[in-house]
Amino acid sequence: MKIYLALTVASLKMYFRNKQALFWALFFPLLIMIIFGIMNFDKYNSPNVGIYDAADNPASQALIQALRGTSDQRLLSTTTTTLEDAHHELEFGSSRGVIEIPANYGVSGEFAEIKVTYDERFQQERAVIATILGQVTNAVFKEINQVPDEYRVENSIGITESVITGQGQGFKAWLIPGIAAMAIMQTGLFTVVFTLVRFKSQGVLRRLKATPIGASHFLAGQLTTKAIVVVLQTYVLVIVGAIVLGVSVGNGRIGAWFDLTILALLGGALFIAIGLAVSGWAKNEETAAPVANIISMPMMFLSGVFFPLSVMPDWLTQWSQYLPLTYLADGMRAITVEGASITTLGSELLGLGIWIVISFIVATKMFRWE
Amino acid sequence: MITATDPVIVAKDIHKKYDDITAVNGISFEVRRGEVFGMLGPNGAGKTTTVEILEGMRDADSGDAIINGINVKDDPTAVKAIIGVQLQQNAFFDKLKLSEIVDLYAKLYLAKVDPVEILSRVGLDNRKNAQYAELSGGQKQRLSIAVALVNDPVVLFLDEPTTGLDPQARRQLWELVRKIQKDGATIMLTTHYMEEAEELCDRIAVVENGEIVALDTPDALIDQLLETGFKPEKRVREATLDDVFLNLTGHDLRD
Repeated sequence: MKIYLALTVASLKMYFRNKQALFWALFFPLLIMIIFGIMNFDKYNSPNVGIYDAADNPASQALIQALRGTSDQRLLSTTTTTLEDAHHELEFGSSRGVIEIPANYGVSGEFAEIKVTYDERFQQERAVIATILGQVTNAVFKEINQVPDEYRVENSIGITESVITGQGQGFKAWLIPGIAAMAIMQTGLFTVVFTLVRFKSQGVLRRLKATPIGASHFLAGQLTTKAIVVVLQTYVLVIVGAIVLGVSVGNGRIGAWFDLTILALLGGALFIAIGLAVSGWAKNEETAAPVANIISMPMMFLSGVFFPLSVMPDWLTQWSQYLPLTYLADGMRAITVEGASITTLGSELLGLGIWIVISFIVATKMFRWE
Repeated sequence: MITATDPVIVAKDIHKKYDDITAVNGISFEVRRGEVFGMLGPNGAGKTTTVEILEGMRDADSGDAIINGINVKDDPTAVKAIIGVQLQQNAFFDKLKLSEIVDLYAKLYLAKVDPVEILSRVGLDNRKNAQYAELSGGQKQRLSIAVALVNDPVVLFLDEPTTGLDPQARRQLWELVRKIQKDGATIMLTTHYMEEAEELCDRIAVVENGEIVALDTPDALIDQLLETGFKPEKRVREATLDDVFLNLTGHDLRD
């Protein structure tokens, strides 16, 4: 225990004296966060709309297809989901409207009432969605029923609107947890890879092997250090990000910080294990760096750190939704943006858990002292 | 019961092969308590492998290495706890001060020491706040000896301690080794400098192709050679080129 403490204290000192590591762990992610946050990409996206399709027939599917527009000219970014999820997403700002298609939509001779819900804070998106929906239902209705022009669409389809006041805080709030998750990945992966590979190639690890302590002591000290760094870094990034970009964290729920800590530790464990696997395999820094980059770079862009997965093509997201960083970023986002509690994050925790187990198995197989 | 006359290091018929290269081919010797024992030989003769087997850093294919009555293969951790090790290639954590490095290593042995006192024994107390990367070659070697002393070792292993050092730094390290011997440690060192062996070692084993080809005191080995009728090619002079160099550049360290 004393030995473990001594190693942990020593490696903490080493970490905090390493200006370069601090730059990559704190200042670089903060810089990206602030730059992207100030640029505020909200306005460039076609509005996200959650659709609940109770009819689920050819007519309703044609309507949804028409609402999406063509791939060249995207009208609305739609996600078909349950009514509950669609409202949840609207409430917490990941979508701008909910369109509920009734079960009798497209049934001939019946009057179908489409319900639309907006976030009243986003009047511009509301107007866009309302216009598109109006025009599209008009056009689609004619196409499906091949009715003559004199039959008015109003007799068959009604659109009722309602509004809520959402709690979503837009792209800025959305960005912070993603960047914090990315920083956890970078710290876990790169600081482990670089310190261990350097210690290995210089012979520091070999010198430790000449002492009575076991490998486990040294690794435990290293891992504790990284865990402390990961948690501190997450706090700093989320707090500074929230202050600078003016958003609230977890809707002010104090428990959100506890949940964030757990997620940061899980994410840290995951990426440290991946780092151990890489540093076990690599002989020196020249071979370790490209491998660490090959692992981290795709995740940076495919895991919904900078942009939501919904703006990416489906063939890509059906893979990228299973990436380790996606689970971590989604989980942290649910807590900070949607005010969720960690107990509700079933799929994210499961995904992280599976990745942690896989990574640790690979790491123990790969790690070598010399 | 171990008495002062028992050998503190025993190597019994040690063999070690790497793939198809035989590094150590049946080496046996004993080192007495308080002795400075030198292992000499050209590069690749098997010196380092032998020493690393004694240190518990490598497993022998066959044979026994016994330190202070403990067989290394039975309890390598117990052996590591009572020896001090200077590896041929030493490296220590960067971003730590020398005093912190010594303190950390002392804690790894659960030893209570004053890091500055240890550093002063190797003449580095004035650099206690420096980092490893800032040290000169000689200072790095002295730090690695300081770290090897934290557990007050029964046996100190020095693997080529003066390789790459200038004559001034080498002489200072010799002083240090003699001082450590006087404090009661048994020292085993490897070197390929004959002058160093002659200067420091009570007894010498000459290793070639993984085998000991001669083992005796330096004087006895020289006498044996002269008895064969050997004549040195050059006339023996009263001084060496080393002396010339030191006379010209002074004995002071250039750290």
